[in-house]
Parts: sequence; structure tokens; C-alpha cells
Amino acid sequence: MTFLINRRILTTLISTFALGCILIFFTPSCFANDNSRSFIQNFGNHLVAIVDSPISVSEKKQKLIPLVQQNVDFNAIGRYCLGRFWKVATTQQKARYLKLFHQFLMNAITDKLGDYRGVQFTIGKITQNGGNDLVETSITRLQQPSISMQWVVSYASGSPKIVDVIGEGASLRLTQRSDYSAFITRHGGNINVLLNALQKKVSEHVHSTSNN
Amino acid sequence: MSLCHVFSKKVYRLVCLFTSLASATGCSAIKAPVPKDPAALADYKAANDPYEPLNRKLFNLTLKFDKYTLKPMAKAYRWAVPHVVRNSLGNMITTMYEPQVFFNDVGAGKPRRAGDLFARWCINMTVGLGGLIDVAKMVGFPHHVNDAGLTFANWGISPGPYLFLPMGPSSVRDGLGYAVDQLFSPWNYVPRGYGLISFNWAYNSFGMIHGRSEHLDELDALERDSLDPYATIRSAYQQMRKAEAAAIRNDHRATVPAWYYHWYQRHPPHPH
Repeated sequence: MTFLINRRILTTLISTFALGCILIFFTPSCFANDNSRSFIQNFGNHLVAIVDSPISVSEKKQKLIPLVQQNVDFNAIGRYCLGRFWKVATTQQKARYLKLFHQFLMNAITDKLGDYRGVQFTIGKITQNGGNDLVETSITRLQQPSISMQWVVSYASGSPKIVDVIGEGASLRLTQRSDYSAFITRHGGNINVLLNALQKKVSEHVHSTSNN
Repeated sequence: MSLCHVFSKKVYRLVCLFTSLASATGCSAIKAPVPKDPAALADYKAANDPYEPLNRKLFNLTLKFDKYTLKPMAKAYRWAVPHVVRNSLGNMITTMYEPQVFFNDVGAGKPRRAGDLFARWCINMTVGLGGLIDVAKMVGFPHHVNDAGLTFANWGISPGPYLFLPMGPSSVRDGLGYAVDQLFSPWNYVPRGYGLISFNWAYNSFGMIHGRSEHLDELDALERDSLDPYATIRSAYQQMRKAEAAAIRNDHRATVPAWYYHWYQRHPPHPH
């Protein structure tokens, strides 16, 4: 009998210990998964609400900018995109680059406002990769084939932020990094050439939007 | 028309085009110098593009051809043909090249994918009016991609150096895969002297225009936003092919669909 009771206590202790271990080791990732899911769900809901609202395009852009700024880590993406040239850039070059990159990326996002009209999305599975969460979404657009996209959510800044988007297997930031890296390399490794080219793109955008 | 004949004709055309372009652009600038700086070398290796100078020349030629012929035709096609009709024609083009996908599914050792594709092709060629309506997608057999390049990838063959060919971004492996795929296209076996040969030409040309019309906005955005469109396309292509090969490799679904398995459990064969 004592043997049985001891065995039961021992079994209970082992079970509790195992459960504790499971909670300790797995709760943060589950918690992060849930956080990432609700983060992308919220971001998507807000985005769709703005795009489908009956206001003018310029008003939509004005509402979209703070939403994107709040949820996308522009500096982290910018640093990644400069690749090996980030290490050799001066402080002034880095500051100018990040400012231009911020404007450039924001323009690229807001220019596609029309593409998001009537968008519906469903969130699929969430996996972890290199400390980030990969949130799978299936996006349905009006008169367009549905597409699947992965959103890379990072917690490095203390709160969830989007640091990359992967569509059809291609990472946005990796493709952008290849673009910048090839451009700088073909211009003798001169980062200022990239900065001037980015400045030109940003200025052209201002010019084209003011003409419209 | 024999298999070898079709193959040799296609390869001969490609080799002629490639060599004439290579000689026109100058053979001295075919290979890129290998950088000595470790960080630059890492980028060079990641790009996997030792023939970059030649590839860039071919890319620029393709861009010019696109600017003055293909793009205007694609724009006119999109302007003149309603979306619903374009969608149906797109379905037809997809259905017509699906026999190649089927053979590659078999080659990759993925019977479930091959079975799905076979069911899909039969449904769309009959109920789908020769592929014009994608009925198969509605009943759970959506289209999936596969080609000989991806089959080679699943056999463990590495892509080899990146190549920009007249038909677009590629690699040594994918370029060879393209030639192999021509062997499995039933449309290349249409006998000469029949009206169907004109249909084959029309199908190929129309396929190019339709394909270009589907990417008008994306390529315009690429030209507008990218500082080096060649490098952007190269990176996107290499990542996409890697993801496509991984998707095929990781498709571990059971050979028979779930509904058939459950039905079989309920109706086991009677012993004689």
C-alpha cells in the first residue's frame, strides 16, 4: 500500500515537474504566436477598414501613414537592406540613408492603396524562424487570384513589428538588399551614389503626386 | 515527328540564339571578376552569377524587345479583352501545358500531385470546355507548378550558375529543364502540313502576350522602384525557385485522397 501511495506521489511529482517544464519552455512561444496572430489580425483589419472607407485617396493615405509607421520597423528593414555596406557607412550616411529609405518604402506601400481594395484575408499557421514569427496569410482580392503571403514579425524592438513580407517565396527585404548591393557594387562601392539615387526616386515621387 | 528531332530542333534554336547573342555582345566580357574582399566575395557567391556581364547584356536586349514589342501588345490585349475572357484564355493556356506538369510530378516521385493533376486535366478538358473554365479548382483540384528544372532540383541537382535566357531568368539546371519540358509537350508533336501547326505558333505567341499582360503592373513598379532591376529579378527568381522546389519536396500527403480512404474503409473488397 505504502509502495502504491509512494508511487502515486512520485508519479504526481514527475507529472507536475513535466507540466512545469512544458509551461516554462513552451508558453513564451505560444504566447508570442498568439501575439503575432492578433497583431497581424489587428493590422490587417485596420488596413482594410481604411482602404474600404468612403473617403478620398489622399485622406486614406493620411490615415494609412501612422498605421504603417506604428506597425512596420522601417529602421530594421533599412539596416538589413544596406547589407555589408551598413558597416562601412559613416554616421551621416546612415542617418541620411534611413531617412530616405523610410520615405521610399512608405511611398511604395501607399502607392499600392488601390491594390488593397476589397481585400479579405485569413490567417494560417504561425512558425518560428531565426527568432521571428512567420505568420501565413491567404489574401483574396477582387477579380484577382488569391495569393499567400508570409509576414515576418519581430519582437526585437520590445513590441511586435513587421520586418519582412514574403510573397511567392521571395523575401521583400532580401530582394531589396540584392538591388542595393548590386547598385553600390556597380558604382565602385560608393554609398553616396545610392543615397543620391534614392533621393532622386523620392523627389520624383513627390513631383508625380503633386502633378496628379 | 520523332522525339529526338523535336529535342534537337529546340536545342539547336536555343544554341544558335545564345551563341549569336554571345558573339554580338563580345566574348571578352562574359565572366565577372571574382572579388577579393571577403564581404564582397560572400555577396558574389550568394548571387551565383559568374556570367553576369553576358547575362546583363542579354537582359538589356530583352528589355528593349519588351519595350517596343511585347509590352505594347500586352497593354493593347489588356485594354481590348475583358477580364473574364482573359481569365478563361489564361485557364486554357494553363490546361494546355499541364501534361508537362503531370510528367514532372511523376518524375519527382509525387503520385498524389500527379493524380490531382490528372484528375484536374480530365475535368477541365471535358466539363471545363477544353480548359476555358477552371471547374477542377472549384471541386478541389487547384493548379500547381512543376517543371523539369524543379524535378531536377528534387533529385538533388544544384541550380548551377544563374543565366538570363531569351525566355527570362533561369539557371543552367532550369535552362536544361526547359529543353527537357519541350519533349513532354504534346503540342510539339503536331505533324507538319496541318493547320494545327499554325495553332501551335498562335498558342506560343499568345501565351507570351497573355503572360506579359498578367505582370504589367508588377514590372512597371519594378522599373519605377528598383535601382538595379537585373539584380532584383535575379534575387526574386532564385528565391522563388527555391521555395517552389521546397513546396514540392515537402508535399507529404498520402497517395490516395482522404475521401477515398474513408470510402474504402466502409466498403472493403469482398473475398472470392
